[in-house]
Amino acid sequence: MVPPFGAWRFSRRFEAARRAAPEGPLRDFYDAGHPAFATPVEDLDLIAIDLETDGLDFDHSALLEAGFVSMRHDRIFAGTGKRIRIRPPAALSEASVVIHRITDEALKDALDEEAALAELLPLLAGKVLVAHFAEIETGFLDAACRRVYGTPFIAPFVCTMALENRWFPRPRAADGLRLAKLRAQYGLPAYRGHDGLIDALACGELLIAQLALRNSGPTLGDILRR
Amino acid sequence: MDDAPETLEIAEFLRQHPPFGGLSNAELAALIRALEVRYYRRGTTITTAGEENAWFSVVRSGAVELRLGGSDLNARLGEGGCFGYPSLLRNGSAQNEAVALEDSLVYRIAKPAFLATVSGHPEFRAFFEVDEAARLRRAVDRMRQTGMGREGSADTLGAHAAIGSLVRRTGIVTGDPAMTVSQAATLMTQEDVSTLPICAGGRLVGIVTDKDLRRRVLGAGLDLSSPLSAIMTADPVTASPDTPILTALITMAERQIHHLPILDPAGDVVAIVSSNDILSRLGSNALHIAKAISAAANSGQVADATSQLPQALTGLVAAGVDADHVSRYVSTIGEGAHCRILELGEEKLGPPPVPYALVCFGSLARSEQALGSDQDNGFILGEGYDSARHDAYFAELARHLCDGLNAAGYRYCPGNIMATNPTYRRTADEWATIFRGWIESPNPQAVLESTIFFDMRALSGEKSLVDGLRREVFAAAAKNGIFLSFIARAAATTRVPLGFFRNFLLQDDADEGRVLDLKTQAIAPIVDIARTHALARKLVATNTAERLAGAAACESMSRDAARDLAACFEFVRDVRFRHQAEQIARGEAPSNKLDPAILSRFDREHLRDAFRLIRDQLDKLRSQFAGGVT
Repeated sequence: MVPPFGAWRFSRRFEAARRAAPEGPLRDFYDAGHPAFATPVEDLDLIAIDLETDGLDFDHSALLEAGFVSMRHDRIFAGTGKRIRIRPPAALSEASVVIHRITDEALKDALDEEAALAELLPLLAGKVLVAHFAEIETGFLDAACRRVYGTPFIAPFVCTMALENRWFPRPRAADGLRLAKLRAQYGLPAYRGHDGLIDALACGELLIAQLALRNSGPTLGDILRR
Repeated sequence: MDDAPETLEIAEFLRQHPPFGGLSNAELAALIRALEVRYYRRGTTITTAGEENAWFSVVRSGAVELRLGGSDLNARLGEGGCFGYPSLLRNGSAQNEAVALEDSLVYRIAKPAFLATVSGHPEFRAFFEVDEAARLRRAVDRMRQTGMGREGSADTLGAHAAIGSLVRRTGIVTGDPAMTVSQAATLMTQEDVSTLPICAGGRLVGIVTDKDLRRRVLGAGLDLSSPLSAIMTADPVTASPDTPILTALITMAERQIHHLPILDPAGDVVAIVSSNDILSRLGSNALHIAKAISAAANSGQVADATSQLPQALTGLVAAGVDADHVSRYVSTIGEGAHCRILELGEEKLGPPPVPYALVCFGSLARSEQALGSDQDNGFILGEGYDSARHDAYFAELARHLCDGLNAAGYRYCPGNIMATNPTYRRTADEWATIFRGWIESPNPQAVLESTIFFDMRALSGEKSLVDGLRREVFAAAAKNGIFLSFIARAAATTRVPLGFFRNFLLQDDADEGRVLDLKTQAIAPIVDIARTHALARKLVATNTAERLAGAAACESMSRDAARDLAACFEFVRDVRFRHQAEQIARGEAPSNKLDPAILSRFDREHLRDAFRLIRDQLDKLRSQFAGGVT
């Protein structure tokens, strides 16, 4: 299942990023390492994450909120659900305020990007990240790390959308891979969307359902985004 | 900065479901901190009977089936359904197997957090006490212990008859999974059925009800051309024609389903039985005794009919009927027996020479009778009564009544409060004088003995005689603070066994002398509290629950106190009826006394709560009406 040299290539990029990272939260994140690709999913510590942004352009859109919740292959730890609100960097904030009508009230408990990463990175350390359409999460976290630390963000990611397509391929409607559609297919309840925390929970539940259906003892290498 | 967990979707969901609605944000957050979200594929076993259970579970979506240990009874839980708590509360292993019927998302809360909430939040705990499913489970347990539900007592109550006996309709309408929702709706309308069994290849594969059309089609905005297979409940619970009615009823109550397909041995659907069909059957059997009484040609036939009352009671208890309804039923039968025996007496002795009323006192007057009640009755004699000319007639009528009642199981009153006693055959004016004596010059002993007379109700004859008397008595009582203080103090003299269970728990072998009398130690104090408020505020009701509600309505008592006492009253009587049903099943005479050693831990703990609550309310009563002085 693992593409040839996939594990080796990932480890090399991870190690290179570790060496490049300055002392601080990002370096600490890398120092915690990542689980081996051969680790059975039963033994993985995972964290479902969802970012709310005001656009899809990693470099010019603002990161507004991160929601995340810790999980394992068959359960989600509801008590670990957490939301971090982020104040857009000055250059981006004016437009965001206009577009999102972010009020002073909403910004009151928001952190700036650097403080947000300092809060977030320790929670991600040593874990496998889970997201639906993980391009958003990888892209925005990478862009934020480059802005704050000047170096990239490399982490083991599971993308529930990619996993669905790979494990259960079938003809689908144009929006057939959307989180809400896939959840309905697995008998999971409908949630209110566009809330980082709820979407993270929704994505985590989808992964549990996918793993329950697959039921073939996969390893980290099998479920990782390629 | 820390986001409180209640911002999660999970908190919103929990809040909408009964046990969690009353929790504070902090309490809910504590539960969520200990909560895991799990997903079970259809057919997965969630809990195995007999194994240690460490989770309190709530169904978030999908459906979970509980298979009651060692039986073929099932409970189906849908969204919001809770399971796993009896074993946590008992601190034992799981009794039931829980299996996912559909792909299900289940919230599981770790035992310590659940128990902490239970002990810290009385309302949360109360939910698990009064939960209907739990009551039914208890009834089922009881049924198993006493061997009910098997043959033997078969014809005593329709509940043990086979469900096949309910089937009237032949030629059943069925649908198939490929049929569209719209076709099915049309078919159901044409055939005037609310339930459509879905068959494929001659086998039952699902069931669709009116409710499904509402919830899964209209409510969900589903396309009307969708196949029935998309909305049907697949693999529904079924019964065979020889399933006992009671078993079917309990299954339906537990799974909260209202329709049960009946399959013959070949697997063909022969009928759909609804919960209404079953309840009307149970009702008509319970009503059978009343019918037999009113048709009785002599006291002997009345006694024959009332002799079936114990069996009817065990049936009602086993079917999970609540204590209030059971006692109203028992009271209805008691009232019927009084009236019919009196009528037969009049037929024998000729019409009464003057108008009169038969009154009863005590539990029958309050419509709270249990089995084994003594009789408490009297006559109020109307206008034109002349003792020299008429007393012989009424003395003879009273003898006929009281002998007949005694034969019918309503024993002679040990205190001789019966119409056969000339003291209780009085004109309305004479009764008023007696009451005035109690009210105006009260003494503790007389008050203790007189309280049941304030629960007076006309059973037969000139009821207006009683209404006038009661008005007068209540008006006099309400203005007499000294009398009220005596009544309140008399109530407070009851020995509520507070330390009872603590001691009991300390010494494992129960010693013979320690018997709990539910009537005098738990039921009577609540009745006394309600009566005191009724007298103080001139409430016309005689029924305790109605008096408590009335007391709350006129703010004589706080709403919370009234609600707590009413719940307590219901619980204690529930324990009593279950106890009596067991005694009957063992062939013993039903009584109010029980050995605490036979109580389940659940009942014991809740009884202890009940006693504490009664004690508190008695203290309050004393300070409210007796100036806090004893």
